[in-house]
Amino acid sequence: MSLKSKSRRQQWLMLSPAILGLSLIVILPFFLSIWFSFTDQRLVPRPIPTQVVGFRNYERILTDDEFWQAVGNTVLFAVLVVPFQLAISLGAAMILNSKLRLRAALRTVAILPLLLPMTVIVAIWAVLYRIPNGPFNAVFQLFAGSGNYVDWLGSSSTAMVAIVVLSAWATFPYQMLIYLAGLQDIAEELYEAARIDGATRWQQFWNVTWPGLRNVNIFLLIITTIGALKLFTQIAILTRGGPNGSTTTIIYYLFKEGYQTQKVGFASAVAVMFFLAVTAIALLQRKIFKNEEET
Amino acid sequence: MKALFTAAAAVYGLMSASAVCAQDITAWVIDGDAEKAYFVQLEEAFNASDAGVTVKLVPIPGYNDAINAATLAGDLPDVIMIDGPNMAAMAWAGTIQPIGDLLDGAVLDDLLPAVRAQGTYGPDEDFYFVSPYDSSVLLWGNRAILESAGIEIPTSIEDAWTAEELGDVLAKLKEQDGIEWPLDVKLNYGAGEWLTYGFSPFIQSAGGDIIDRKTWHADGTINSESNVAVLQTLQDWVNAGYVVPASAGDNKFYGEKTAALSWVGNWMWGAHKEGLGDDLVLIPAPSFGEAGPVSPNGGWGWAVPASTENLDAVGKFLNFAMSTDQVAKYADMTGYIPARASAVPLSARYGEGGEGELFAKQAACCAIVRPVHPAYPVITAAFAGAIDNIMTGTADVKAELDKAAETIDEDIEDNAGYPPFDQ
Repeated sequence: MSLKSKSRRQQWLMLSPAILGLSLIVILPFFLSIWFSFTDQRLVPRPIPTQVVGFRNYERILTDDEFWQAVGNTVLFAVLVVPFQLAISLGAAMILNSKLRLRAALRTVAILPLLLPMTVIVAIWAVLYRIPNGPFNAVFQLFAGSGNYVDWLGSSSTAMVAIVVLSAWATFPYQMLIYLAGLQDIAEELYEAARIDGATRWQQFWNVTWPGLRNVNIFLLIITTIGALKLFTQIAILTRGGPNGSTTTIIYYLFKEGYQTQKVGFASAVAVMFFLAVTAIALLQRKIFKNEEET
Repeated sequence: MKALFTAAAAVYGLMSASAVCAQDITAWVIDGDAEKAYFVQLEEAFNASDAGVTVKLVPIPGYNDAINAATLAGDLPDVIMIDGPNMAAMAWAGTIQPIGDLLDGAVLDDLLPAVRAQGTYGPDEDFYFVSPYDSSVLLWGNRAILESAGIEIPTSIEDAWTAEELGDVLAKLKEQDGIEWPLDVKLNYGAGEWLTYGFSPFIQSAGGDIIDRKTWHADGTINSESNVAVLQTLQDWVNAGYVVPASAGDNKFYGEKTAALSWVGNWMWGAHKEGLGDDLVLIPAPSFGEAGPVSPNGGWGWAVPASTENLDAVGKFLNFAMSTDQVAKYADMTGYIPARASAVPLSARYGEGGEGELFAKQAACCAIVRPVHPAYPVITAAFAGAIDNIMTGTADVKAELDKAAETIDEDIEDNAGYPPFDQ
C-alpha cells in the first residue's frame, strides 16, 4: 500500500463520522421528503397502503386559500421584521461602540435576550400583551384614557405587528454583536479624515460607517431574512395562527398539516416548496448585491 | 458496528426477559404528579393480591412519542395506556387488540355509557380500550356575584339553563359592577383539542354533531342549520362582550373574579376551590335544544398491544385495575370522575351529597363521546380550527363550517373511506 493511498484512506476514515451523520439526519430526510411529497404518506401506521398520488399534494396546496394566507403572512413578517430588527441592532451596536462609561455593563445587559429560551420570552410577552390591563395596555391607557385597551394578539390587524416587535426584541442582540464586530473593523483613521474635512456626524455615518458595513449588511440581510421566513415558535405558543389565520406562517401551516392532521405527504410537499422559495430568495439577494459590487 | 448491534440485542433481551415468563407483565403508564401515587399504589396492591401474576408499572414521560416509537420498533409492553380519542386509529392500524373477552362482564355492564362508547370500536363492535375514570365539563359559577345580580341558579340537570336563559343571565351579569366579561369558556387554551372537547356539547345539545356517525360524512352534519344557529349564538355573545377573550389570561373567573361563570372541566377543581372557596357553585351544562344538556367526556385508559400473548395474566391485571375499589381510588387520588357507576358512591367527592355529585350525574346521563373514528385527528383539527375562527367574532359561521366539512370529507375520501368504516 502506497503512502498516498494510505493517507487517502485515512482521510475517508476521518470524514466518515461526519458523512454518515449528515447522510442520516440531513441528506436522507431531504430526499425522503421529496419522495413523500408525491405520496399520501401518513405519520402513523395504517392498514391501507401508501400510494403515489403524483402532483395532487402540490395542486391542493396551491389552491388552498389558507396556504396563500400563510405565504402572505410570512412575507409580511419578513418585510416588517428584517429592516426593523437590523435598524435596532445597528443602533444598539453604535451605542455600545461609542466611548460610553459603563460600556462593558451595557454590553452584557444588551445580550440578555439571547440567553433566554424563546419559549420563556414568549411567556413573558404574553403577559405584557394581556388585556385589559397588561403592562402595554397600562401604557396605552395613559394616552387613550382608562377603560380603553388594544387586544394586541387578539385582533387580526395588530397580531402580526405584535409578533414582529416581540421577535425583533428576542433576537436582535445576535445581529447587534455582528454589527459591533463590523464597526470595530472600520479604521479610526477614516473617521479622523472625515472630521478634518468637516463632515458632520450624519455625514460620517453615511460616508464612512455605512459603506464600511457593506459585507456585514449583506450577510445579516440574508440570514435575518431566512430566519424570518422560518417563523414558528412564537406563533405555536402565542397565537396558534389566529386570529382568523392572520398569523399563520408557512412553517406553522406545515406543522399543522404534518403533525396535527398527520398528513406527512402533504406537509412534505409544503416543505419542498418552502425550500425552493427560500433558496430562490437567497440566490436573488446574492445576485443583486454581486451586481452592485461590479458596477 | 456489529458489536454495537450485539450489545443492543442483549439489552433488548434483558428488557423483554420479563415477558418470557408468562406470569410477569409490564405496563406503561402516564407520568403525572397526581397519577404517580395512584400507580405505585396499584402496583403494590395487585402484586400483593393472590392473582399469581406480577405486574411492573413503568411511568413514561413524553408518552405519545414513546408509544409511536415503540410501535414502529415492534417493542410495545404487555399493556399500554392511550388517550381515548386515539383508540380508533390504533385499532384500525391493528396496533391494539380487542379486550372485551378479557374483561369481566360485571365491569363492562357497570361502565358509564359514554366510557363504554369510548372503548367500543365501530366495525366489530368490540371493546379495545377501558378507562378507570372520566372527565367532564360544566358551568362553574361564582355564587356571590350571581346572587347579587338576582340570578336564580339551577341545581339539577332538569332545570339547566336554556341558551336563551343563559343569554339573559349573561346580559344581566354584563351590567354588574366589576364584571368585565361574564363568561369564561377558556379561549386562552388556544386552537387545540379543548375547542372540540369543550364546544361540541353545545351543538350536540341542539341535536347536531361534528360528523354523521353512521355514514361518516361531515358535509350536511357539521355545517347543519342547527350547528350554524348554535355557533352564531356563541359568536353573538362574543361580540356582545360576554365572553373572556383569549388574550385575557386564565384567571378571570377564579383569580380576578371579573367573570362570574366558567365553562371548563373538572381539572380546574383545585384552582377554583382555592380562589372562590364557598362561593363556588356547580351549574349543569346549558341546553341549546332538543337533546338537552350535553357534556364531553374521555380520558386515558388501558389498551393491549396486538403483539401481547399472555392474555390470561393481562386479563387478571385489567380486571383488578378496573375493580370498583381501584376505580374509586383513582378518582379520589386524581380528582377525576369514577368510570364505574358502582364506584361513584364510594367516592367522597362524587358520591351522594358530595361536592361533585352534579359532575358524576352529568357524566352518567349526558355525556357524548367524541367521534370514534381513525380520521379523528383530522376531524378535531378541522372543527377546532372553525371554532377558533368563529370565536374571534368576525369569521362567517357557515363558511367556516363548510370549510371544515370539506377538509374532513376530503381526508376520508383520500383514505378510501377508512375501510371497513365505509360500510
